[in-house]
Amino acid sequence: MRLVQVAGWLGSGKTTLIIALSKGLSRKGIKVAVLVNEIGAIPVDGRVIQDYGLTVKDIGGGCICCQMAGSMMKTLRLLREGPNPDIVILEPTGIAVPHAVKKMVLSAAPSGEISLGPTIVLFDTTRAAKLLGYETLQRAVTTQLKDADIIALSKSDAIAEEAFAKAGESVRVINPRAQIIRLSVTNGDGMAALTQVVEEMTVPA
Amino acid sequence: MNDLRIHPLHEGTSAYATACFLSREKNMDGAELRRFAERLMHSLSASSIKRGAKVIGHIKAYIEHQEGFLHAHTVGEPGDITVDGRDGGPVGRFKLVVNSIIFGLPEEAVKDAADEAIRETSALFGLVREPAGLSRE
Repeated sequence: MRLVQVAGWLGSGKTTLIIALSKGLSRKGIKVAVLVNEIGAIPVDGRVIQDYGLTVKDIGGGCICCQMAGSMMKTLRLLREGPNPDIVILEPTGIAVPHAVKKMVLSAAPSGEISLGPTIVLFDTTRAAKLLGYETLQRAVTTQLKDADIIALSKSDAIAEEAFAKAGESVRVINPRAQIIRLSVTNGDGMAALTQVVEEMTVPA
Repeated sequence: MNDLRIHPLHEGTSAYATACFLSREKNMDGAELRRFAERLMHSLSASSIKRGAKVIGHIKAYIEHQEGFLHAHTVGEPGDITVDGRDGGPVGRFKLVVNSIIFGLPEEAVKDAADEAIRETSALFGLVREPAGLSRE
């Protein structure tokens, strides 16, 4: 069972991407389950994903990168003992620190039970100036971007080309090693490429 | 409410979630329910900013009824309110779940802002509030 983390700041489009990505992977015959973590005590996103017919477990009431680590490992074990999917797509909270989640999984999961797939970090290009320029957000958003294996520049359909390119350049400076994908779930831009990359990085040939 | 100050990068973040049932005698059709959801998002955002919120992190709502569901969210930017879902037929009672993540407000203020927004928006649409449990079921 491989864990694919779909992280990114609040409102960057994680839930929307996960629905589309899960459907795309399922069409390729890959068994997918989704694990959603929300800060609020009453989860909303898990319910939304469930409404699209996907297998979902949710953890509410705190962030799995620090407070809810135990709940997450317990839920991953339940998934392994139950539906045992090929891939678990993990949606952490929008404030989660991806490397803290990775570290926790690596330290808590017994060898061979759960392996780590890629960390995808969404970056909302329509709010690039605020996310990277506003002190309250900048440090956390930059940390998320630095932790990414794949950065999905989201909402590409909702921004002028010049501003989109500028957002991409800013992100590239923050994390030069990540693969960067242009993404719009609304018009399908980048979805096939992202699904392909996730498949290649998670499913043995 | 949750204390999110465990990871240093979570400093200044407060969250509040609440659930209730809302009802009225005259049924609401899909369009009116969407107007309610949109108005509620606007009100939740405004109510938090009025109390001194630095940033609206993410405000989400889930509306569930026998005929369908709606989910709404905003990050507090002008014009960014989104409402999606499946309308179904007219309904007179539905469950509402609200989840607010706000920066720069104490948790009690996030709760007050959410409660005020739900109360005022419900009154505007003639809806009466009944408490619901914390489960999402």
